[in-house]
Amino acid sequence: MRLSDISRLSWDQVKRRKVVTALCAAGISIGCAAIIVAMSIGESAQLYIEKQMNSYLNMDEITVRANSGAFTDNSGSAADNEALQKGLLTRQKLDIMRQISQVSAAAPYRQLGHMQLSTLDHLTSQYSTELLGTDFDTLTAFGHSFLYGGPSDLAGTIVLNYGATLGLMDEETKQSLQEQMSGNYYDKAVIDQMNSYNRIPTALYQKQVRFLFYTPEGEAYSSPLRVVGVLRKPSGVSEDNLAYDKKGYVSLQTAEMLQKELKLGGEISGDFNSIIVKVDDQDHIEQVERQIQKLTVTTETNLHQKERLAGEFKILKAAALGIGVFILIIASISIVVAMTMSTYQRRRQIGIMKVLGANLSQIRNLFIVEAALLGLLGGLLGVLFSYWIVWGINGLIYRLADEQDSVIIFIPLATIPVGMAFALATGVFSGIYPAISASRTDALTAIRRD
Amino acid sequence: MLQVEELSHSFKNGNEITAVLHDISFRVHKGQMVALLGSSGSGKSTLLNLMAGLMKPTEGNIFIAGHSISAMNENKLAEFRRKHIGFIFQAYELLANLTVRENIELPLVFQSVQPSVRRKKALELLEKVGIPDKADLFPSQLSGGQQQRVSIARSLITEPSVIFADEPTGNLDTRTEEEILAILKTLNQTLHTTFIIVTHEREVAAQTEHILTLRDGSLVTDRQKVAEVLPSGGIAIETK
Repeated sequence: MRLSDISRLSWDQVKRRKVVTALCAAGISIGCAAIIVAMSIGESAQLYIEKQMNSYLNMDEITVRANSGAFTDNSGSAADNEALQKGLLTRQKLDIMRQISQVSAAAPYRQLGHMQLSTLDHLTSQYSTELLGTDFDTLTAFGHSFLYGGPSDLAGTIVLNYGATLGLMDEETKQSLQEQMSGNYYDKAVIDQMNSYNRIPTALYQKQVRFLFYTPEGEAYSSPLRVVGVLRKPSGVSEDNLAYDKKGYVSLQTAEMLQKELKLGGEISGDFNSIIVKVDDQDHIEQVERQIQKLTVTTETNLHQKERLAGEFKILKAAALGIGVFILIIASISIVVAMTMSTYQRRRQIGIMKVLGANLSQIRNLFIVEAALLGLLGGLLGVLFSYWIVWGINGLIYRLADEQDSVIIFIPLATIPVGMAFALATGVFSGIYPAISASRTDALTAIRRD
Repeated sequence: MLQVEELSHSFKNGNEITAVLHDISFRVHKGQMVALLGSSGSGKSTLLNLMAGLMKPTEGNIFIAGHSISAMNENKLAEFRRKHIGFIFQAYELLANLTVRENIELPLVFQSVQPSVRRKKALELLEKVGIPDKADLFPSQLSGGQQQRVSIARSLITEPSVIFADEPTGNLDTRTEEEILAILKTLNQTLHTTFIIVTHEREVAAQTEHILTLRDGSLVTDRQKVAEVLPSGGIAIETK
């Protein structure tokens, strides 16, 4: 019997027996949709958390520090000094790191610490700003883009991130807020008022700012620095978090100048405190890390966080798949019942076919293909349902979530063939018993009219 | 063509055994049209089912086109029926979800014949049974007589060695009955297909060349129509 004939005859039955088709397809579609939605939620949540972790933990970056023994120590022997020199972070090592093929950027950093940023008209924030010396040119390579201005080679200039421009207020407002807060730490109205103050940006581009540093001798102000650039706010970070994330970038030359001027303590082993290496793909992190370690420096990544997360999501996805499969098993029982009933109702038809020369396997194949078609139909409906369900969930999240950048559920393309395959397999397996039962129908009994 | 040898059949009902057919032997040659006549309970339907391989005989042998069908398993029988046997039922037994043409093609579908070949043959047969314009209609859109014509066309499509017709006019009025019998006779004469017609109506049997009369499970001769009595006591029907 030709496959086209089997398919045509089976499809004809699927079309003809609308109630049985609807019941079976509905059962399978629910199972298929459950699998697709469950897997999609798992994938989406993993991606969202990975994205969030990336924005906080920078998973594609390697932090390189001087080797643990590489601090200035005048009491060491000549041999020790040589070992210490090997562990330093030097410009030469930075250049080597930049030449590694999987490295997309490497930025040297000189950390000057957290200080109070102040405008010349004494606007300050409640939170301190981290002052960093780096190569301005590397900022864009690390995913930053400029809202205003751009990098400048001139000494005495600064680039601020978006968070550093938020929440600047005069001393009087600051005092008033602090007074309101004192004793009312859980008052929502006061918290909301403070949050809204902290979200207000100040136009600092081309303005002069300075830093206040507290020394044992008292307060020390830096020389004014001209703001030559303001970075855009990064995606995936809430407004509240932006207000806490305040950074100011100066050139390495300016950093050295400020260090001397503000008499900042701390020793720098080599040319920089640290180097951040950005790798083109998270999969290359380990490989690049091994290469960097050959330069006798200490490296640090957050890769273990990703591995831990992947392990947890593996369990979550397996559980989701299990729920979907369980629903499909329940659905398959409905198919077995519906198909067996259908077999009984069609005994006469089966009998006629057998009298006309259909053999056991031909009858069996007709029923299995019919069940497979029900599975396919259920699978297609399931895909459609899963899109509706995901659309509904996203609508719900959008309404309920406070944050604009909350998790968005999407259906990864790979889950569709998985769902379809399960639906088809359910159809075929559920059709086996009714098919065997149909093929064993006694032709004579079936066509006899009493 | 069709040879029945010392055929007996009985049913077991608990401890009781009911004999339905007793020692039946006869031979039908190619192209003959034979009526199997008997009243209700005479065993004619059981004999038809045995000859068609739908039942296994308790004793005896049945040969069709030189093949002993008694020894065949279910799949072999299905294949044999597909190639050598055609059926015409009293209640037509057309599949309601298939068109007239598709119903006629059905036995060839089980033989994996090309759709274009099937289609051509089905249309030719529809022409032969006199309803060429009904190809795309469904059985429910036809009269009883037309449905039986479709059933006849379906039985012929595999060019079988023998066609078994079980009360083919049982559901039809007198005029349609005559039309159907006329078609069967014409097809028998033009295509030389062997027909075995089971009936309880003497008028229908009278339309055939030969009559085998069954009474209480035994074959009785019809002297006007029987040409030869076999040594075993059976009857051989020779072409006139």
